[in-house]
Amino acid sequence: MANARNKTPSTSTARDSGARRSGAPKKVAITLRLDPDRARRLQILAETENRTLTNYVETALIRDLSLREEAARAITILAAPGTSSIIAPDDVVRGAEESDAAFARRRDLAVDLWSIPDNG
Amino acid sequence: MVPGAFVRVYFPTHEKPRKPGLLHIGYILANSPLEAMVAYTTSQPWPTGTPLSAGVRLFTAEEAKRLNQSRPFVLRLDVLAKLPMNPQWFPEIEKEGEGVIAVVPSRLQEELTDLATNLVRRRRDLIQMRGI
Repeated sequence: MANARNKTPSTSTARDSGARRSGAPKKVAITLRLDPDRARRLQILAETENRTLTNYVETALIRDLSLREEAARAITILAAPGTSSIIAPDDVVRGAEESDAAFARRRDLAVDLWSIPDNG
Repeated sequence: MVPGAFVRVYFPTHEKPRKPGLLHIGYILANSPLEAMVAYTTSQPWPTGTPLSAGVRLFTAEEAKRLNQSRPFVLRLDVLAKLPMNPQWFPEIEKEGEGVIAVVPSRLQEELTDLATNLVRRRRDLIQMRGI
């Protein structure tokens, strides 16, 4: 169903084993069976976004994969250039109404987070 | 800038972690006078049927309203940015109010600290630092 309306080379057939001109990895064709109502709804959604059904389904699957990969990581820290790899406990700013215990926990967290090395 | 604040920030992207991204509302998890560790927020709802990632806190419309935000939003304590506190990243930092939208009550701040702390302690090996 998903490849039924495909008019662009976004999904190649299984027999299309030649190298793609763009150098992008070769795609694999799959057959997707859906109940008619669901397929019709997907078709409408795809048309709303001016996409082929194949492209719409592919995008949804990529998004799902991306979320799953993201969920497999605990935390991603994006570090701006020039930021330090350490924070002195005394430099952690305290909230106005923060209790001693709450501040101590948050300060420890800050020291911990700042010290994580770049592994990206 | 105070910890526990929701603030306007050019949050970097995974693709370009070294450059300011689009204007978002971020949460100040911790900061020194010079740098801040900011958590990402988005008003895009969490996809139905997708398991909630550890470190994600959903805010209802009512909670959002109490924090001066017009829509429900998702706070991602698993997506952080370590940023210098300057106008390149915080566009309103030199204006009155510093771009702060709201400061969370202490109890909520503690909840969010605990959520992040548990995440760091339990899954430290899965933390990814990008961009330095």
